[in-house]
Parts: sequence; structure tokens; C-alpha cells
Amino acid sequence: MGAELPVDPAALREEVKSKYREVARNPHGAFHFHTGRRAARRLGYEPGMLDRMPDAAIESFAGVANPFSLRPLEAGEKVVDAGSGAGFDCFIAAQQVGASGTVVGVDMLAEMLQKARATARTMGLSNVEFREGILEEMPVGDGWADVVISNGVINLCVDKKQVFREIWRVLRPGGRLQFADIANGKPVPASAVANIDLWTA
Amino acid sequence: MLEEIGFVDVKVGPPADTFGEASGEKKARLFEVYGYPFLARKPG
Repeated sequence: MGAELPVDPAALREEVKSKYREVARNPHGAFHFHTGRRAARRLGYEPGMLDRMPDAAIESFAGVANPFSLRPLEAGEKVVDAGSGAGFDCFIAAQQVGASGTVVGVDMLAEMLQKARATARTMGLSNVEFREGILEEMPVGDGWADVVISNGVINLCVDKKQVFREIWRVLRPGGRLQFADIANGKPVPASAVANIDLWTA
Repeated sequence: MLEEIGFVDVKVGPPADTFGEASGEKKARLFEVYGYPFLARKPG
């Protein structure tokens, strides 16, 4: 663990896996955040697009804002979703970039990857793939991506600087980072930041 | 941090009330936690 990191990254990953494994398996369970269509509607995703999504594509969505709200993707772009979960934002991205584009979702949780791959097959999306990996070390080549998207995941990584360095690595020169995440207006006490149980509470 | 890494043209969109009406709302209000969209560019 780096000297400046408040919690152990590997231990935090296990905590995050435990929480989001449940979101994958039991998306209608009780969580401290919204999930599914309710979450997406609150965050301003286009209602007609949500209506066209099959339940499996959206029920485990647990994003925190809309990474497409400041700028949509363009046809033909190559996109990486850092922390793709069950794939909801990847499926939106796949529609925006079209058949000439490519979307790669990266996630560390087997249950989410399995769900995302099954849904992509059901939806007949041939321009989306999902790879196992962590945000600090993504299985994507240098400069491959035109755009990196992410939604509500970077806040769950303790070494955020390394995550942004990694995003920088996979982006081509001139590429864009479009992400959604939470930020707090009032400082969180250091004791709380050092309590790993509170990172996903 | 984004600019420290080298990103430019950093923009932040309006807040979303991510935790409103969820069970995490009370804690979110305590620390004024909201969701935001961010946009940044790698120079090239």
C-alpha cells in the first residue's frame, strides 16, 4: 500500500466486490443507492432509450450521474467503460457509436461480466465486449481509445491518481474522458476515510 | 487531479441528486454528496 493511501487497495476491492456481487445477483435488493430504471430516470437518461432497454441490461445499473450528458459519443468511436458492471452504459455507448464503433467494458467482478456478456448476446450487439480487469491496470492497449467513460466507480478506488494515469495511457492523443462520479461538498473526517467498511456504505 | 495528470478542457456538469429518496440520503446530505458528469481531454 502506498504511504499516502488511507486503506489497502486489495482489501477495498474485496469489499467492493462483495457489495456489487449482490447488485448483480439481487438487483432489486435493499441498497443505500438507487438501482435499475429508477436510478437511470433520476439521473436524466433519455426516457425513450430506457424504455427500449431489456430489463437485464438495466436492472443492475448503479450509476451516480450521466456520463453522456455533457457530450454524446460519435459514430465509429472506440470506447472503454472503466468499471462497466452489468453493461448498461456500454449498451448506450454501443448504440451511439454504431456498427463502425467498438465498446470495451472492463470490470473486476465475474458476476457482472457474465451478466453483461449474456445481455449483449441477447441484444445482438456485436460491437461490445467485456474484459476482466481493474481500473488501475486495464487490459487495453496504449492509446487505443477515443473515449473512456466511467460511472460511479472511480470513487471506489483508493488510488485515484493511478486510475487517471491508466485512463491517460489507454486514451489516444486528443481522446476524451467522460465520466460520472460523486463528490462531497463537506469534508469527510480522516477517521471515516480510513474505515474500509464506510467506502461502500 | 485531472489537470495534474495532464488533462485539459476540464468541465463539470450540474449535480444530480444521486441518493435522494434512497436509504443513503441522510449520509449523503450530511456531507453534501452529489453525482456529477465530468468531461476532459487528453491533448493531442
